[in-house]
Amino acid sequence: MRNRSRRGWRRVFNGVNLAALLVFLFIVLPLYWMIATAFTAPSNVEASPPQYFPHPLSVANFSQAFSDYSFGRYIVNSVVVAVVATALVLVLGTLAGYAMGRLPMRGKFTVLVVLLMISVFPEIAVVVPLYALLRDLGWLNSYQALIIPYTAFFLPFAIWILRNYFMAIPHEMEESARIDGANPLRTIWSIILPQALPGLFTAGIFTFTACWTEFLMALSFNVANNYRTIPVGVALFGGQFTTSFGDLFAASVVAVVPIGVLVFIFRRSVVSGLTAGAVKG
Amino acid sequence: MSTPPVTPVPGGRVDVLARSAQPRGRRRNDVFRRQQARLGWGLSAPALIVVGAVTIFPICYAVAMSVTNVTATGNGFSLSGFTGSNYSIMFHAAEWRYALFFTVFYTVVTVAVELLLGTAIALVLERLSAGRGWMMALLLIPWSMITVINAELWYYIYNPVYGILDNIFSHIGLGTPVILGTRVPAITALMVADIWKTTPFVAIIVLAGLVMIPRDYYEAAEVDGASGWRIFWRITFPQLRPTIALAVLFRVLQAFGLFDLPFVLTSGGPGYSTQSLAILAYDAMFRDLDFGPGAAVAVSTAFLVVLGCVLFVKVFRAQAGTEA
Repeated sequence: MRNRSRRGWRRVFNGVNLAALLVFLFIVLPLYWMIATAFTAPSNVEASPPQYFPHPLSVANFSQAFSDYSFGRYIVNSVVVAVVATALVLVLGTLAGYAMGRLPMRGKFTVLVVLLMISVFPEIAVVVPLYALLRDLGWLNSYQALIIPYTAFFLPFAIWILRNYFMAIPHEMEESARIDGANPLRTIWSIILPQALPGLFTAGIFTFTACWTEFLMALSFNVANNYRTIPVGVALFGGQFTTSFGDLFAASVVAVVPIGVLVFIFRRSVVSGLTAGAVKG
Repeated sequence: MSTPPVTPVPGGRVDVLARSAQPRGRRRNDVFRRQQARLGWGLSAPALIVVGAVTIFPICYAVAMSVTNVTATGNGFSLSGFTGSNYSIMFHAAEWRYALFFTVFYTVVTVAVELLLGTAIALVLERLSAGRGWMMALLLIPWSMITVINAELWYYIYNPVYGILDNIFSHIGLGTPVILGTRVPAITALMVADIWKTTPFVAIIVLAGLVMIPRDYYEAAEVDGASGWRIFWRITFPQLRPTIALAVLFRVLQAFGLFDLPFVLTSGGPGYSTQSLAILAYDAMFRDLDFGPGAAVAVSTAFLVVLGCVLFVKVFRAQAGTEA
């Protein structure tokens, strides 16, 4: 029989808490090491043995990341691409998700399965044809070279998430709006959308994260330094020079923080999106 | 903040592919339904057109590249003549056979470890009395991290000169192995970096599945005096199966396209030991300009992924059908 009312020291030092502590360390230690390195003085970053606790603390890496490399530029590029693509995905995805979730369309199940296939299709198989296409259009090294493929490839998953949220909204309110003579777009805007807001958050965060972290297309389509996004900038940080890990991790901390804060604020949406939003029928 | 509509399905079963529920208890006339269907296609059209225009052409073009003689010209590619030689080059290349083996091996091992660890973490978090929200938020950080940054971080940790791991190894008397320079340690190191990043993802999915299991199942089992182990295998695991299946599907498909991590962490090395199918295809096309064989590798990889997805959908629907 399990004793549920544990007392005294066993309330703190039990197996569950100990295991949780191990999990905590497993996740936090590498993160700690990245942040600690970012704040280490540049001359100590490649010290052997390494400094477990940086001394003296320094922000020199941060200023170098922005002055010696074009990291500021990469951030602007990533933000532009991710924000525009996410907005497009949400607008198109809401309309399609609503239709797929709530309207009696014949053959929509096939469409949904095809969308699922596209969302898992390995990028490597489409990168070269897309490259040729973008080159013909003269769009290599531009924002649209990433915004358009991101919108297209991340839309299917967003449609799935949104569809599941739309399906869960009761039909009664919509029907009374229709009887009152509201047109479909107006009904979506004022009746359905407010109730599907958590779904929009979830789909938005997923799309934004996917755009923010995407590497292969960004690496292949935007070769010019002026249009590189953060992942490409970070991957090629060393490039012509030797990699300076202090600068690199200072830059990484800056890149991880916004998305980390976003995910932290909307953690409920993210969790439900990872599970219920994507799973629930 | 309003809570998302997480309505537990009766019995905790989660159906990924449930068709949308039709409005009940009301008979609608055909005209109205047709009107609604037209509206539906109208609303879906912009999204479907964008997805179709941007994805269908490249997919078809890639397939075409893989079965023709491709030559790069000044303004694009010229495809001429149907040929099976790209695939025959691929099948005969030892590099491809190794990359296929490596990708499958890597996928199986990492997904298995992530599943075990992720389930364990979810079980721990479910029992945690305080700080669960914080732990969940913490778990989301590796998940949301740019894979390239993850790779650079582990590259720094594994560095043979000033890396912290060799330093720790030497403190506990294990010497200073050259981690990324030898085959087995390099593969292991790659897997560890992947496991660190994606186990939290699995843990969160499993945790959400755990929370949906009705409490009274456990109470009934405890009244019957079942052991913890037995409760796990007889109640928790069967109830979790759909959730776990979904996590496995996501992870397998993702792991199979493995690119970012080895591209930065090991560059496919030492030698070819961490060369995944995606890296092989990328190198063939972008470095060696072997577009035909490269496309063959990429297309066959995509084919395996789609095949896996179709099989999953089939099995899952069949299973959901028998359980319903």
